[in-house]
Amino acid sequence: MTQDEVFEQVVKILTPHVKNQAALDSIAPETNILDDLKVNSARLVDVVLAFEDDFNIEIPDEDVDGVNTVGDCVRLVLEKLQSS
Amino acid sequence: MEAAALALRDRLALDLQRWVGRLTAPVWIPVTVALMKCGVRWQIEGMEQTRRLFRQAKQASDAPLLVCANHLTMADSFLVSLSLASPWSLTVHYSWLPWNTPEKHRFASTWWKRMFAYLMKCIPVERGGNRQEVGRTLARVAHLLLQRDVALIFPEGGRSRTGRVDTEAVTYGVGRIVRQLPGCRVLAVYLRGEGQTEYTNLPARGERFRVEAELFEPKSDHRGLRGSVDLGRQILMRLDAMERRFFDARK
Repeated sequence: MTQDEVFEQVVKILTPHVKNQAALDSIAPETNILDDLKVNSARLVDVVLAFEDDFNIEIPDEDVDGVNTVGDCVRLVLEKLQSS
Repeated sequence: MEAAALALRDRLALDLQRWVGRLTAPVWIPVTVALMKCGVRWQIEGMEQTRRLFRQAKQASDAPLLVCANHLTMADSFLVSLSLASPWSLTVHYSWLPWNTPEKHRFASTWWKRMFAYLMKCIPVERGGNRQEVGRTLARVAHLLLQRDVALIFPEGGRSRTGRVDTEAVTYGVGRIVRQLPGCRVLAVYLRGEGQTEYTNLPARGERFRVEAELFEPKSDHRGLRGSVDLGRQILMRLDAMERRFFDARK
């Protein structure tokens, strides 16, 4: 999968959890998931589990600590896809 | 998966906090309990069973022991602590007094709240804050459990907005701690005031609480984050079952 395809899929997975829908119009790799998109921190777990299901990858707990922006998600998914 | 090594600075800070708390415990524990009994007149029923189970768990094994409780008021960590052991036991066996992780902003406003939180073995955490900071807090808790200290976590991540154990509110942090520590036991504690219908800052004056505890060792076949979520869910489901019994007994 290309970076753009992963980005598109990541945004699709995030969308149902986004409280600030206006921020989706200008979503970019540097968009912060909690601060800008206002995704509930508890729901971040559901988002990461959806990454596991949709991309068929496994994400360790510690890797979730490094997820702050949409770009972090894309990087994490690409990294796991390459190593799987 | 094993608990990540904690930075020396963090270990020393926790050691210092433990020693300051231990030295001052003979003063602040009796004073706080006296305020509870004579000031707000809270009473807890069922403490004997909970204290017996906790004492047996501590004496039977050195394996990590994590206390997980439902959460309705800001006094819960204090009430649960007192349900685990007598004030005297908590003073003598200071490691039995559980560490807990309250929301940082609740204690940041005044110096005396910060001091009280420090003495009460609090490790403040910013809910929804930087994930690395949250991860660091979880690592501190795991480190303390390995030191045979006890920690108290509210698996719902905050006071229940529904007034009942919210099984949908499972957070992965509690499961992550359990998964990091092989053989980690969980003491599920359900505590509720008879007049507590929803979440509040503090219980009503004169409130009568009922407490119940169950010891178990959650296991999951899942790996990674999914395993942590599974473990967290098992703990919440246990608390949910205890809550059902609480209300069934009152029908």
